[in-house]
Amino acid sequence: MKKNILTTIILFASFLQIPVYAETLTKEKMVSILKGIDMRIRSSGDYKSLVYIEQREKGKPDLVREALVYRRDVDQKLMILFTKPRTESGKGYLRIDKNLWFYDPTVGKWERRTDRERIGGTDSRRQDFDQSNLAEEYDPEFIGEEKLGNYNVWVLKLAAKPGVDVAYPVVKYWIDKATGNYLKSQDFALSGRLMRTSYNPKWQKLFSESKKADLWYAQEIRIYDEIDKGNSTLILIKSVDLQELPQNIFTKAWLESKSR
Amino acid sequence: MNQFSVLLQIAFRNLFANFLNIVIGAIVFIGTLLFVVGSSLLNNMEGAMSKSIIGSVAGNIQVYSDKSKDELSLFGSFGAPDIADIPDFSKIKSALMNIENIKSVIPMGVNNAQVAYGNTLDVALEKLRKTVNQKNKGDHSDALRRTMESYKSHIRQIVSVIQGDLRNLSALAKLQPSDKENMATLKKAASEQFWNSFDADPLGHLEFLENKIAYLLPDSDFYNIGYVGTDIDSFKNNFDRMEIVEGQMVPSGQRGMLLSKFVYEHQFKLKTAHRLDEIKEAMENKHSAIARDPNLQFLIKQNKTQTREIILQLDPVSTAKMRKALQIYLPSAEKDLAILLPLFLDVNDKNFIDRYNFFYSTIAPMIELYRLRPGDAITIKAYTKSGFIESVNIKVYGTFQFKGLEKSGLAGGLSLMDLMSFRDLYGFLTPEKLAEAKHLEKAAGVKIIDRDKAEEELFGGAWDSAVSTGSQTDIDEKKELGMIRKKDSSVNRAYTQSEIDDGVVINAAIILKDPSKIKETMKQIKTVSDKNQLDLRVVTWQKAAGMIGQFVLVAKVILYLVVFIIFVVALVIINNAVMMATLQRVQEIGTMRAIGAGRSFVLAMILVETVLLGLTFGIAGTAAGSLIIKVLGHNGIPAMNEFLYFFFSGPRLYPALGVGSIVWSMVIIFIVTIVSALYPAIIATRVSPITAMQSEE
Repeated sequence: MKKNILTTIILFASFLQIPVYAETLTKEKMVSILKGIDMRIRSSGDYKSLVYIEQREKGKPDLVREALVYRRDVDQKLMILFTKPRTESGKGYLRIDKNLWFYDPTVGKWERRTDRERIGGTDSRRQDFDQSNLAEEYDPEFIGEEKLGNYNVWVLKLAAKPGVDVAYPVVKYWIDKATGNYLKSQDFALSGRLMRTSYNPKWQKLFSESKKADLWYAQEIRIYDEIDKGNSTLILIKSVDLQELPQNIFTKAWLESKSR
Repeated sequence: MNQFSVLLQIAFRNLFANFLNIVIGAIVFIGTLLFVVGSSLLNNMEGAMSKSIIGSVAGNIQVYSDKSKDELSLFGSFGAPDIADIPDFSKIKSALMNIENIKSVIPMGVNNAQVAYGNTLDVALEKLRKTVNQKNKGDHSDALRRTMESYKSHIRQIVSVIQGDLRNLSALAKLQPSDKENMATLKKAASEQFWNSFDADPLGHLEFLENKIAYLLPDSDFYNIGYVGTDIDSFKNNFDRMEIVEGQMVPSGQRGMLLSKFVYEHQFKLKTAHRLDEIKEAMENKHSAIARDPNLQFLIKQNKTQTREIILQLDPVSTAKMRKALQIYLPSAEKDLAILLPLFLDVNDKNFIDRYNFFYSTIAPMIELYRLRPGDAITIKAYTKSGFIESVNIKVYGTFQFKGLEKSGLAGGLSLMDLMSFRDLYGFLTPEKLAEAKHLEKAAGVKIIDRDKAEEELFGGAWDSAVSTGSQTDIDEKKELGMIRKKDSSVNRAYTQSEIDDGVVINAAIILKDPSKIKETMKQIKTVSDKNQLDLRVVTWQKAAGMIGQFVLVAKVILYLVVFIIFVVALVIINNAVMMATLQRVQEIGTMRAIGAGRSFVLAMILVETVLLGLTFGIAGTAAGSLIIKVLGHNGIPAMNEFLYFFFSGPRLYPALGVGSIVWSMVIIFIVTIVSALYPAIIATRVSPITAMQSEE
């Protein structure tokens, strides 16, 4: 009799798709997880990396770029300076506070861009190269637990806080329960339409002297365009350098000087 | 002959004998009138539109790559058509110029570009930054110092306008923490101390203004420009309706651009001024009145509420000057320009012309009426074939229009760009570029993972494979940055004809010596293309124009359908009416048969009567239609909007009566009446005299 009741409860629960033993995260716990991600990615000193970016589109030749990414997280500054191929070298993005500037040395002009900018014409966005501010920019909502391949993950849905300018107002994160790294993310438009799915299958940590702790970065990011199916972007971090950068590096004058 | 004369007499006698004949006549009259007027108008419109299309960009024939997935559409289409490129224009030019009827082959490529200006403060700061860079390079001239001071005072004025906006906002709503932060930043940017210390660290001050202040102003301008990349000299020589309006032609072989006058006026002119022009145009040419026309009232409302684009252009000196001028003109004691300008722009039918003239004579000289002037360089960017954005700096030498098509947005929608700049923006992937990309791809050693299998492949391994320890690497910055390309000053030279011709184009316009031989010439082009493996698709101007080219064809189909329905109805009605009339005349026919009239006579009598009826009213309808066309041909039909301007190839269409329309209307009437009367006529021949007499009894 007892067995029958238990079976009925399990069947009823599975019918309603309620995980019987699922752990529900509290708001505080979710914020703490997001803060953890932000803190691991954030550098207290300077950061420089050499990245490889590849864009694949149906019926078009692959778009390939190499760039140097500079970050000074304490000042919220970022610079992406393209170095290859030859026709793209010298072009760059400079983020200072709420401004994202684009510079093209062939025309010698600076242009204001938004966070929705397709970096270098690929499916990547500024956020994919920058520090993480998830806890500051989004309010989390617990969706559930899942299995992503062999990984046990929490799924959180994040909605942008009012007045915060982000590339996507709603994002979903699949966070590895064991390491706290996010392995998958999905970006949604305000209408709820899925725009991109990204996978971060490889994370690396590097001891930072200034931080006196490990600095984490996604070594490989695979972005799949959900609007133009078949289009995808791959970002590979080839090397990371945490040495101090010149003080004036995050200025228009510095970036201009590289291609005079 | 005698018999025919008798038949005619009978037919004339019976012409108005029956009320049904009047109904039949009215239908025939309307049908022929509609056919004559409609077909004449459409034929004339087709002729006029062909002039617009052939004379503005298409030429008589267009050729493009046969590898293209989509069809060429010069005046735009839904989405971006996939048109393959022609790798070497000189090859097709030399091959096609051997065809006798071809006068010239003009290279082309249609694309869209964007011109983005930052907001007013971004633009002012960019100008100041340029002068700072000049000073840092050693220019300490008085002229430069004066320019810098002028820019600085303009920027201070803009900062004070933004401060005013925030103050107004604080009076209306509770300020957010970010607004309070902005208030403090603005206070710093407006302070004497900030500007007194500017010269000590100009770049630092500029960075502060650019990053902390400029983004607060949301008035960025963004223009979309459709353009044809072409050999501009060849274009000008072959499209003889093209004329320079302002500025000059792009010097031979040089890089440069000519903006369409239509685009220049609609996009680059100060919006307040453009709206005033629109009101004047409507009042003068369409006899509209502000008091009656809600569209004009809306334009005035926009002018009254959008005065910031004027105010933000002014430095303190110009502000005082404009304020004084408006105080005297209105007259008013108001000191705030933000109140004076809406007062001035609140025009009515009575004061409009006077205020319009005052605007252009007194206000306009204090501001920039156009975002750019002939001679200025602009930065334009376009999506390349590969999907990324490419930019070029290009000098705008002037504006142009096509004679007679000045107000057509379709003919004036495309600007002209030199072929070398077009190729830069098109982003044609040369073998070298492709090889470089392949090399980088190979060096990266990337594994391609299919979207559907991504999760399985990426996360199907051991649970700890997602984490590893990296190592600190000294990135050799100099080695990486060594690749950065320097500005190439050699691009601003004159190019030779062979340099212009030897390269990629998207399509080519072909001008014929004798346009009436278009079909033969298209066949010849196809033969030459096949023989030389040029892979060309050959289309007429009409096809190349896309949906626009099909407009008249669609209109014709609709007209012919309506006329067809009218005549089918007429046919049925005539048939029934003649049938009834014949039955009513059984006794008459029987008597005629009794006194010797043969069956053929009866048959001919019915047919002649019906044909005469049709022809009489048909001729009347044709005459009325001809008269209408004659009157329209004399007065012209005004083009009430810019689309009709294009279809009429000018401000008015002056239709002429085509002989074809008259002949066809007569033929149709003849056939319809014969067919509809044939059956009743045959029935009439079967009436026997005895039966006819008996039916009387």
